[in-house]
Amino acid sequence: MTAIDINVADRHTPAWEAGEETVDLAAQRRRARRARLHRTALKITGVLILLGAWEIGALIINDSSILPSVQNTFSTLVHYLNRPYPAASDPLWKDIVVSGRRILIGFVLAVAGGVLIGSAMWSWRPLRDMIDPVIELTRPLPPLAFIPLLIVWFGIGELPKVVLIIIGVLPIMIVSTVAALDGVPPELDQCARTLGASRLYTLFHVQLRAAVPGIITGMRLSMGGAWTSIVAVEMIAATSGVGFLILQAGNYSITNLVLSGIIAIGIVSLVFDAFLRGLLRLADPSRPVSE
Amino acid sequence: MQLSPAERELVKVTGVGKTFQRGGRRTTALSGVDLTVARGEFVCLLGPSGCGKSTLLNILAGILPYEEGTAEVNGHQVKGPSAERGMMFQSPMLFPWLTTRQNVAFGPKAQRRWRRSAPTAATTTAADVDEILTTVGLAGFEDAYPKELSGGMRHRAAFARAIISRPSVLLMDEPFGALDALTRAKMQEFLLDMWERFQITIVFVTHDIEESILLGDRVCVMGGRPAGIVEEIPIELGRPRGYEDLETPEFLGIKRRIRQILMPETPGRGRRQPVGATSAEDRR
Repeated sequence: MTAIDINVADRHTPAWEAGEETVDLAAQRRRARRARLHRTALKITGVLILLGAWEIGALIINDSSILPSVQNTFSTLVHYLNRPYPAASDPLWKDIVVSGRRILIGFVLAVAGGVLIGSAMWSWRPLRDMIDPVIELTRPLPPLAFIPLLIVWFGIGELPKVVLIIIGVLPIMIVSTVAALDGVPPELDQCARTLGASRLYTLFHVQLRAAVPGIITGMRLSMGGAWTSIVAVEMIAATSGVGFLILQAGNYSITNLVLSGIIAIGIVSLVFDAFLRGLLRLADPSRPVSE
Repeated sequence: MQLSPAERELVKVTGVGKTFQRGGRRTTALSGVDLTVARGEFVCLLGPSGCGKSTLLNILAGILPYEEGTAEVNGHQVKGPSAERGMMFQSPMLFPWLTTRQNVAFGPKAQRRWRRSAPTAATTTAADVDEILTTVGLAGFEDAYPKELSGGMRHRAAFARAIISRPSVLLMDEPFGALDALTRAKMQEFLLDMWERFQITIVFVTHDIEESILLGDRVCVMGGRPAGIVEEIPIELGRPRGYEDLETPEFLGIKRRIRQILMPETPGRGRRQPVGATSAEDRR
């Protein structure tokens, strides 16, 4: 094997590289960007079609107390955004902030708890066997069924709202954390260990890291449920929040204000979801841009 | 090259045995395996599925505990995974959230041997990473994510990642098993090229007879029940080897010999029977 050192230098016109299927990174990324733009255009078209159908429906019905037109609704939305509406003392933006705050507090607590409990269950089998049936028993229950109970226990302040969000979000986060960790191939962990990583380093830098996209997907799923819960509890036991606004406006038959509230929820949850999707893209940069 | 006695036994496996226990049933996957690998040697472990070749490799990697015998690498008893024994799996197992450069830097960072600058013998810097990426033909792809690379490129990145910490032995578990024939041939050439370049010691698991002869200095045929090394065949073909060598009479002679070990003629029954039927190992 002595002669090798001398030979290698001039022999090294790597034959294994010749004829390699060419990978053009720049073109690949350009294509992905173009596909994303194309999809965004289609998404906007979809929304425009919905608004168009709404406008046509409003024109046919021609009664703004049943179905106000699109521009009527949006001007109501803008009008009441920073002006108190009849039958209430707060402008719309305050209600949005109140609802958003309730959701965020409950959501952050539930996500943190869910990831913590899920990781613990994943790393310690007996705990998993113990908690699994509890989740399976409580998960099918609609969180809304707990509202009367929460009012009895915690009154009508902020606490019952936050607790309700946690009830809805926590099980989903536990389940998706465990599933995401289960989905990490054992070879990935073995690979890290043979690269010299300690057990702890591997847990944080590989296993939990590899589970992040699955955990964020769980967050996106549970966010929808959180809005359902918050609007419901605000309709039953609250004096503020978008749910309260919608119910009040409905009681006074102010249809355009009801629709404004609904649209406000739509926009805010879209913003939340866009944030989570941004996180997901950061967490998993190699993910195909399909979602 | 003159090797010291310690270098001649860089990898030293003596009487290693492994028993799997599942549902009260015990299956002996390996029994009394002896194997020594010299520094710079390329040894192939060849055998059918379930012959214990991956079990042996995982024991060497420290991924799998063993009950009997001793396994030593570079004078140290194998007790757990370590950067001293690099491992490559059937799929490249790159971390999908890291770029090529970050993937290669993972090992040094995990071992706290990563320095931004001021390199010493014990540390690794970004320049080292870029250098090895150039060597494996990935210059220009340092910031690409694994999904953006071709199959062969991913394997070469995984190779760079495994080799950057200069392990004393590189353990490869059917690394090219899932590749298409053409990419696979290229990867074999690549591996031979790198082996000569870096003077690596390699233990390579495969079930492909041709691959083992093309690559190895020595082929250890595994089989039997309980499984072990049935026969060691030195491959006395010249180096460097290439695909042209596949048709030479010497090559074919070795191939025939190995096939006879793996599938001996059983007289009286008139059909070939493979050695080392399945054990629990591959059903894990």
